[in-house]
Amino acid sequence: MMRRRWKKSELSSPRRFTLVLLLLGTAALQVSCGSKPSSAIVIASVSDVSSLDPHLLDSNHPTGSVIWSIFDSLVRRGPDGADLPRLATSWERIDDLTWRFHLRHGVKFQDGSPFTAADVKFSFDRMNKPPFSAVQQLWAQTTLKEVRTVDDGTIELLTARPSVTMLYWLEEAFIAPKGYYSSHDAAYLNTHPVGSGPYKLVEWTPGDHLTLTANRDYFGAAAALKDVVFKVVPDVSARLNGLATGDIDLALELSPDTIGQAKTAHSRPEEVLGLRKVHFGISQNSKLAALRDPRVRRALNYAIDVPTMIKTLMHGSTVPLTSVVNPPNADPTLTPYGYHPDRARQLLAEAGYGQGFDLDIDFSPFWGQDKDTCETVAGYLNAVGIRTKLHADEWNDFRRKLSDQSFDGLFFAGWAALINPSVELVIFTCKQEDNASGYCDPKYDDLVHRASTEYDVGKRKALTDAAQKMVWNDAYWIFLWRASLYAGLSDRIDYQLRPDDYVEIYLAKPRS
Amino acid sequence: MYSFAIGKLLRAATVLLGVSFLTFIIGHASGDPVLLMVRGDATAQQKADLRHSLGLDRPVLTQYASYVGNALHGDLGISYRQRIAVGQLIRLRLPNSLELAGAAFTAAIFLGFALGILAALNRDRAVDHAVAGLSILGQVVPGFWLGLMLVLLFAVHWQILPVSGSGGLAHLVLPAATLALPTLGRMARLVRAGMLDVLSSDYIRTARAKGLTERQVLLGHAVKNALLPLVTQAGLEFGDMVGSAFIIETVFAWPGLGRMTVNAVLQRDFLVVQGCVLVTAAGFVVINLTVDLLYAWIDPRVRGR
Repeated sequence: MMRRRWKKSELSSPRRFTLVLLLLGTAALQVSCGSKPSSAIVIASVSDVSSLDPHLLDSNHPTGSVIWSIFDSLVRRGPDGADLPRLATSWERIDDLTWRFHLRHGVKFQDGSPFTAADVKFSFDRMNKPPFSAVQQLWAQTTLKEVRTVDDGTIELLTARPSVTMLYWLEEAFIAPKGYYSSHDAAYLNTHPVGSGPYKLVEWTPGDHLTLTANRDYFGAAAALKDVVFKVVPDVSARLNGLATGDIDLALELSPDTIGQAKTAHSRPEEVLGLRKVHFGISQNSKLAALRDPRVRRALNYAIDVPTMIKTLMHGSTVPLTSVVNPPNADPTLTPYGYHPDRARQLLAEAGYGQGFDLDIDFSPFWGQDKDTCETVAGYLNAVGIRTKLHADEWNDFRRKLSDQSFDGLFFAGWAALINPSVELVIFTCKQEDNASGYCDPKYDDLVHRASTEYDVGKRKALTDAAQKMVWNDAYWIFLWRASLYAGLSDRIDYQLRPDDYVEIYLAKPRS
Repeated sequence: MYSFAIGKLLRAATVLLGVSFLTFIIGHASGDPVLLMVRGDATAQQKADLRHSLGLDRPVLTQYASYVGNALHGDLGISYRQRIAVGQLIRLRLPNSLELAGAAFTAAIFLGFALGILAALNRDRAVDHAVAGLSILGQVVPGFWLGLMLVLLFAVHWQILPVSGSGGLAHLVLPAATLALPTLGRMARLVRAGMLDVLSSDYIRTARAKGLTERQVLLGHAVKNALLPLVTQAGLEFGDMVGSAFIIETVFAWPGLGRMTVNAVLQRDFLVVQGCVLVTAAGFVVINLTVDLLYAWIDPRVRGR
């Protein structure tokens, strides 16, 4: 009797719980409806902006996308690599070692100060000091040695050698107002950026979100989307879910196997052929003499069925590489190796490796589809008698091996999401910091160095084509494909993604 | 009592010092943050300049000494990566972690307790089996999967809760529920076992024999005694929820301390790792102290000792 009575009173307890849950649910419903952003466009990415100091720009997205929105460079890089006016309206070379830039008049920074040549000189000089100099390559790559202000509206850049990459590097050199940036400390500047760009910073909560609002005083066409939020959403499913519910308008860094899910009632998938060249580096410092034999390296290329891998692993959204240089500068006479396992076996036998050899393959989860790609390639190589061993490296470890050139076999990597043959070819020059495979051929160096100081377009093309042929015919890499970009766009916006990962959200338009 | 408290505090300080030293040494042995910050084509000189400007070229022990010196003044240094004061980064994240862990913890403890008692009182009946099933499910279902399923149902299909992010109460429901379930399961099982143990003991029979109502027996005698093992476990669970909700934070894009710590480890942003570990360790120390005090409050025998 007593027991039953107790049970009766306890039964009301779950009921109370149910009631509380219902109430909570109702409250949640109201909050969730109320908190949906009315007009702000939300861009979701894996990682957060690393710094808002324009001279610490270290990656194309999201840091680069935000810096490009808040700041302006002298020259804008078009999606096709074209050099377009931005803060400079025009430029000319006075002689082989001097560039002159004519600056735009009437531009104001977001703190109200006017833009002049002094700001350009201040910004470039700042980029030449640590810690900025380790992240910024303007000075090192162009052999810049002096920034000279001619008058308020004109600036001259003096280099030690002729530099065909000057405009390329200027496109990543952002102009900050001298007054503001010389009167605040580094930590403050890092979170309180002031530029002249199409957007202004509203707030940044590191690790969560960053909000921009359109700069009404922008010198160019005002951004069509007034409020933009860059949100950190590390999980790919969470980005896709947000796209499906309309909470996210641009979901970036999707993958070939999830891109199909970006097609929902409110959103559409977007696959863009990228510029980064996905490949296997072939270590020349290896204990294996085989890897220094061009016949073996060609055999590695013939052993792999790149088109099939593109179809099955990459959702068919990319193309095989035909050079270390991107179109339109790729040497048109070069064609993919193709899948010829018999030729691979024959070349290996010719080189004296008919019995195969043991080969290490290192990869790190950075360039996407790393594990699947490496396992598939290992399978193809096994089929021609090469015994492979896969190593998954932690990213820090992988970076260390890249910079020490201490891989012992193959390593899975991506290279240069850009269109500029001189910057792209530099990877195989002797002692170059990016040269993780450790190639060193004076003949190649000579071609690349001459090309990077040759202003005559025809002569330069002949030099870069010759260098590309060396890389291609002696198979410096196992050539795979150009990395693709996989994204989802909501029906609220129209935007054409760039192939180099930067998001120029100020060019996006609301969809009517 | 004072000597007891001072002893505890000294021990706590030693623990924190030890933890920070180990984190520092292991962190520095594990890689070089400069390599992850510079562009691939940075020259050796540029890397050396950057290393110098971050103070990373000094001997590790010197770095540690200056770190401890600054930390005592409340300065946890500046993130190598984001160049924001570590203290500020933690101030941004810790409230989110506490909010999430607090909600999950409260839900897990109260529901776990209620379900545990319910199961104990209905031993071997359907309710008991249902609770057992739920608690096992809570422990075997991985958080990332459960989180995704909850999101699919509540946020994508029914659209009554937000998909991810932090904000109002609505944002809290799904991550807190996901985080709470394993703890809830463990709690329910512990409480059930404790209650069954207590209910079969002599003093409960005595209490019933002297004519107390069942409610008085349960609330006045049984529950209090069944609480003891729970308090220790609950303390540990809370610490865990604050420091290691990494997966939940990732699935729900919740800006908490766990995700910040893991990202900092991956980027070798030592001072951030150091700060997060210190805060988490300090949290554990405080929780342990609280548990000790709670023990004394709940169980007079402990006080006597």
